[in-house]
Amino acid sequence: MSDPSSETTVGSIEVDGKNLNFTAGETILEVTRRHGAVSGEPCKIPTLCYDERLDPFGGCRMCVVELEGSHNPVASCARAAEDGMVIRSSTEAVEKHRKTLLEMVCSENRQVDVDPLSGYASQELKELADRYDARSGRFAGKKSGKSREDDPNPFILRDYDQCISCYRCVRVCAEQEGDYAISVKGRGFDTQITVEFDGHLKDSACTFCGQCVQTCPTGALADRKALRHTEVPGEIEKTRTICTYCGVGCSVDILTKGDSMVGVQPAMDGPANHGALCVKGQFAYDFVQHDERLKTPMIRGEDGELHPTSWDVALDKAAQGFLDARDKHGRHSVYAVASGRAPHEAGYTTQKFIRSGFWSNHIDNCSRA
Amino acid sequence: MPLPTDQDLVTDWKSRPAPLLPLLHAFNDRDGYLSDEALRAVSQGLRIPLADLFGTVTFYHHFSRFPPGTNAPRVCTGQVCRFAGGLELLETMRKDGATPMPCAGRCDEPVPVLTGRSVQVGVTVGEFESRPSPLPVANPGGLEECVFAAIRNPGNDTLEGYRRAGGYSGYEGALGSDPENLLTVITDSGLAGRGGAGFPTGVKWRAVREALNPRPGDDTRAGPKSVVCNADEGEPGCFKDRVLMDHDPHAVLEGMALAGYAAGAEIGFIYLRYEYPETADILDRAITEAENAGLLGENILGSGFSFRIHVRRGAGAYICGEEGSLLNSLEGKHPFPRERPPFPVTHGFENRPTVVNNVETLASAAAIARRGAEWYRGLGAGDLAGTKIISLSGDIMRPGNYEVPFGFPLQTLLNDWAGGPRPGRHIQAVTMAGISGGFLAKEDLDVTLDEPSVRSKGSMLGAGGIMVFDDSRDMLEVAHSCMEFFAHESCGKCFPCRIGTQRLTERLAGAAGPGVLAGWSDEVEDIGSVMKATSACGLGMAAPLITESLMRYFPEQVAAHVEATNS
Amino acid sequence: MSNPLEDMSKPDVIFCIGTNMTECHPVAATGLKKAVARGAKLIVADPRHIALAEMADVVLPLRVGTDVALLLGMAHVIDREGLVDEAFVSERTEGIEAFREHLARFTPEWAEGLTGVPAADIVQAAVWYGEAERGAIYYTLGITEHICGVDNVQSLSNLALMTGNIGREGTGINPMRGQNNIQGAGDAGALPNNYPGFQAVTDPAHQAKFAELYGHEIDLEKGMTKVTALELCGDKIRAMLIDGENTVVTDPDRSHCEHALKSLDHLVVIDLFLTETAALADVALPATAWGETDGVCTNTERRVQRLRAAVEPAGDARPDWWIVSQIAKRCGFPGFDFESAEDVFNELCSLSPIYAGLDWDVIDKGEFHWPVPERGHPGTPILHQGVFENGRGLFRSLEYRDPAETIDDEFPVWLTTGRRLASYHTRTQTGRSHGIDYLLPEETLEIHPDDVADWGLQDGGLCRMTSARGSVEIKVAATNRSPRGTVFTSFSFNDTPVNYLTGSGYDPVTQTAELKVCPVRLEALPESL
Ligand SMILES: Cc1cc2nc3c(=O)[nH]c(=O)nc-3n(C[C@H](O)[C@H](O)[C@H](O)COP(=O)(O)O)c2cc1C
Ligand code: SF4
Ligand code: SF4
Ligand code: SF4
Ligand code: FES
Repeated sequence: MSDPSSETTVGSIEVDGKNLNFTAGETILEVTRRHGAVSGEPCKIPTLCYDERLDPFGGCRMCVVELEGSHNPVASCARAAEDGMVIRSSTEAVEKHRKTLLEMVCSENRQVDVDPLSGYASQELKELADRYDARSGRFAGKKSGKSREDDPNPFILRDYDQCISCYRCVRVCAEQEGDYAISVKGRGFDTQITVEFDGHLKDSACTFCGQCVQTCPTGALADRKALRHTEVPGEIEKTRTICTYCGVGCSVDILTKGDSMVGVQPAMDGPANHGALCVKGQFAYDFVQHDERLKTPMIRGEDGELHPTSWDVALDKAAQGFLDARDKHGRHSVYAVASGRAPHEAGYTTQKFIRSGFWSNHIDNCSRA
Repeated sequence: MPLPTDQDLVTDWKSRPAPLLPLLHAFNDRDGYLSDEALRAVSQGLRIPLADLFGTVTFYHHFSRFPPGTNAPRVCTGQVCRFAGGLELLETMRKDGATPMPCAGRCDEPVPVLTGRSVQVGVTVGEFESRPSPLPVANPGGLEECVFAAIRNPGNDTLEGYRRAGGYSGYEGALGSDPENLLTVITDSGLAGRGGAGFPTGVKWRAVREALNPRPGDDTRAGPKSVVCNADEGEPGCFKDRVLMDHDPHAVLEGMALAGYAAGAEIGFIYLRYEYPETADILDRAITEAENAGLLGENILGSGFSFRIHVRRGAGAYICGEEGSLLNSLEGKHPFPRERPPFPVTHGFENRPTVVNNVETLASAAAIARRGAEWYRGLGAGDLAGTKIISLSGDIMRPGNYEVPFGFPLQTLLNDWAGGPRPGRHIQAVTMAGISGGFLAKEDLDVTLDEPSVRSKGSMLGAGGIMVFDDSRDMLEVAHSCMEFFAHESCGKCFPCRIGTQRLTERLAGAAGPGVLAGWSDEVEDIGSVMKATSACGLGMAAPLITESLMRYFPEQVAAHVEATNS
Repeated sequence: MSNPLEDMSKPDVIFCIGTNMTECHPVAATGLKKAVARGAKLIVADPRHIALAEMADVVLPLRVGTDVALLLGMAHVIDREGLVDEAFVSERTEGIEAFREHLARFTPEWAEGLTGVPAADIVQAAVWYGEAERGAIYYTLGITEHICGVDNVQSLSNLALMTGNIGREGTGINPMRGQNNIQGAGDAGALPNNYPGFQAVTDPAHQAKFAELYGHEIDLEKGMTKVTALELCGDKIRAMLIDGENTVVTDPDRSHCEHALKSLDHLVVIDLFLTETAALADVALPATAWGETDGVCTNTERRVQRLRAAVEPAGDARPDWWIVSQIAKRCGFPGFDFESAEDVFNELCSLSPIYAGLDWDVIDKGEFHWPVPERGHPGTPILHQGVFENGRGLFRSLEYRDPAETIDDEFPVWLTTGRRLASYHTRTQTGRSHGIDYLLPEETLEIHPDDVADWGLQDGGLCRMTSARGSVEIKVAATNRSPRGTVFTSFSFNDTPVNYLTGSGYDPVTQTAELKVCPVRLEALPESL
């Protein structure tokens, strides 16, 4: 959050009686949210098709506000702030439109409630439907979207019965991910999210980064891996950490229920990734709780095989081996290789072990391979 | 001649301006449809992601992904044609693979059938004819005309014929003087957009002239400004642009070139609706004539001004007449409308400053450049400036295009000029602005033809299409077909329109919705009000005028309909 | 990286060489795609027609191992076309005269002869990069995993120095790091030549500093590199501690490597799984995994970030630092009474000048790029702003050298290796994650379709691939991604252990293995296999 009073300010707008300054290019919504975050009185303008990382789109019209001098309300997510604008963000008329819009949207879906494991933004529609009491059942009619139960990919559930055509998925894939794997087929009520020739994601340009899943506000695109844990009891908790794979260092939240790791979501405020992830960071986490993990120390026995043992025994044996080598072959006979995957503390203690213990520099890491 | 290969086609179009649509048409013309391989070739050649291209292709009604595709007939089932035998015709032709198409802009001569690159008209199989667009009848009131003044002259569609009536003299005059003079004339004439929105044309041209033109290195928007002639004419009941382009093509070209000169643009596009294939040929021929005569091209008539015009055919999408959607379509993008502001005058074609004008606007500008602002202002009734073409069709004795002074009484047009209703019938309702103005009926038929008067009745004049329905018609059926059109054409970008047009259609069809009048009306009104207030473009804002005016003028028919739905 | 990841969307010309970024660093590649969408020009030099090449404005499909020739050719053009940034060169660099003289011979036509890249494309690339307001270079292992890896990097540095494309936003020379904390392993001092914070072990002042801390004097000579140590296993090297590395599968020349580890008196491996390497150990110790461990890592842009535990460790697994400290204590070494990762990290900060301004709490949000020389310092997202660390930027006059092995009648095909998006390294992790098999069920050898036909192979069939060191069986995949005469595979799958084949040579300076180039021979295997 930049300081609202910084010198890049170019003017101010009045929102609900408060003067808010803005910087070049900021939209009404951005200004209102930024000030809301600072003042601790969060901006209450609802949105559905908005993802702050994407270009303004203006599809859902939930964010409309009254602008003095304008005949119709304007979409605050797409309208750039101009000096002197006078805005009312939640008049009775506007709130009524929002409710009608939500009732209309609810009428095209199978259900409004979805498991929060579905994805980062999956509760957005549900929360707004609650807030506006929009489960009235009005506007009944045909449902839109057709689920792709035939797509066997293990990561992304394509439950388009739940799709509200906000196109966040398509836009995030294009603008944020640069993959352009999915698009909008057809038009009007019949629009459908698809890949070329209506195929499966695997046969498309999709890299399974999961970005579309995380931005979907209804769970129409959902994290199939995480949803396997729907039945696991307990609340979902999130722990912020860094992805374990490449050197980009994406911030992620690990989702847990009790002591089970049930999923990963990108950290939208991650300094290196701003919410982006790739297939590995997004979906390749369950090695952690895999059955084949080495769970106890092992030592090689007389029979030449490795056998489980206690830490005490194993550590003593490990230490003794190094001391023996030093005593028999000199301190330069001991060598250590640190990991490029383990944290600093591993590398630091390993080099200290060699340097302080054997007075040598016989330490390296695996960067050469 | 061997058929061109995929690669030939791609190479041919790749480095030309706005290549996607013409390249797709080239494949379509070759194969009759767009195969997977064709899309792959286009995707590679133009570097458009395949999924995007697939999505975009499926947006257009007339692109077919499978044979027989273009070669199967398409029968107009628009609001006029369906009552003129279009529905029956479609049924008899189903065996030939015929499919319906929305209003194809031939309401003055129903029913058009489009096959490949040719339109025929007729209502009986075996009796179809290819005919030129009907000329407007001689002005019944003897009033002075602007755009139709010379259109009935034989040979007017050639350069020579056009010049005989003074064509291009305004342009030649303008090129010899400062663009500022031209801007002043157009502004003073009071000419405003004839495509629907009625924005003052001089102001628009000046805005483009004054818009910063990004230069190479500045940013990625660098390149020339452009002029786009909006010839998409997708509004049901509108067929005026067609007659102008078919019989007075040079007036359109002259208007574009004038806009280019005034606005400082170098490149022009005519975005022509798919359903006018013959018009494309007429325009191409006229462009060649003008280029050969040195009226288009580099350094025109030694003035230092360069301007070229390219015809680009749409592919069947009403929304592509909306200027943002049109620009996206030209650029090869998914044709959703754009958020406004910014407007095309600063962020138009390829995000550069662009004039977008309707065919009629541009043709009028050509006449104004020649005859002056005063003359044009004088054509309107009272304080109102200029004239408007009205496309009149439906249950009326003499359908066709009429150029009327602004402020002209609707009743005079209907009853005196166009011969009134069919014998023994009376006019139950008319649509306005094609169908975008909803219905006028009863005492509101006493309006005069100008925006202030029509808008005072909760409607609008718009592009000037008026369809007449006499007392033999079921207004719910009419309203349903109108709403079905909007639902069919809704682009799907914004929620109120995407869902609203669908829900209103269902309610007009009696397919869904409350079976009690009060509940039904509540739902229909709530949908209508959210659509009018929050839709992202004019389509969604206009569509509910249909239900609104239906409920206003025909409450008994609505009540009966809800009752029938209920039982 | 000299510049932050954020900068990737800012250049107006991007030169990617030896980096399959969309597969190896997909998230970083998104920035680059944004730049391209904005209109930036993209130059891609890679032997294979990788996905990046699809987006490129000019593609330079050089023969494997000829990067120096290509870059010399480009430098020649930049000089010839007057695109040298004279002000930058005179203010901030040294040795341009000699370098210019040296360049005279290396025309783009000469480079074409070696690289196979049309001279006109070399000229185009050089002109674009030379003219760029903000030109940025990105590379990965395709540059370093060669016997001339250092020369390759130097050649890139020459280009950046000539054109002043360094030390500013949207410019720089940016290697992309392959592992989440490979940068951090170096930061922490796990290097034979540097103490923590890249303090050279050969500097007596550093020796003195650490002698005081670690209780006695440490050698003033550099230690052995891992490559040398593996050479000397069973000879000079008798006991080895390997933390979290599946050396046997990742390292070149697998037979040699297995043999080396087996000939040790004592091998201790710390890992998450009983990997191929751990299976050879005398003592295998279970480490806590990502998600079970608190700690710190540094990303490729030198950003120092916190890792946090979310679940309890599997079984008896313990953090690596705890395990190593315990071994040290049991050896009787003092200074290992750490109680938490925080203790360890804070000790590191106290010793490392580039971390002097950091500690466990300061890095909570991950805002800092090192160097952070003192508390309150904002960090250093862009290196070499204003001055180079070592004074002036040096031009180096380099010559092209052939790879350690070149193709001949016996081994007529170039093999080059790399990674794939959906699998990571030796798949100890990705291979055990549900669903990844769906994307990448098995390894294949990518061969140009015409070569498949010419060599009597079958798309989808098996072939035997043999180098001077060994041979593997692998499935053939015909694809235009591979150029004629060059084949590609990854080293991720244990059932197709291509590193039995590689290992022809090492860079003399860094001892990085030449994994990118290996002459091989291919033979079809009968269908019945
Ligand atoms: C749904 C929709 C369809 C439109 N279709 C057309 C059209 O077919 N032709 C046209 O000239 N303008 C059409 N317009 C109006 C254009 O957006 C634009 O205002 C016009 O082309 C500007 O030209 P003018 O100022 O000369 O009228 C349409 C607008 C909307 C909202
Ligand atoms: S997973 Fe990623 S690449 Fe695939 S469709 Fe979603 S956003 Fe696009
Ligand atoms: S799938 Fe989800 S994100 Fe995509 S358009 Fe539908 S509701 Fe929006
Ligand atoms: S109003 Fe209708 S046509 Fe216009 S943007 Fe919205 S959905 Fe599209
Ligand atoms: S949030 Fe503004 S239109 Fe959807």
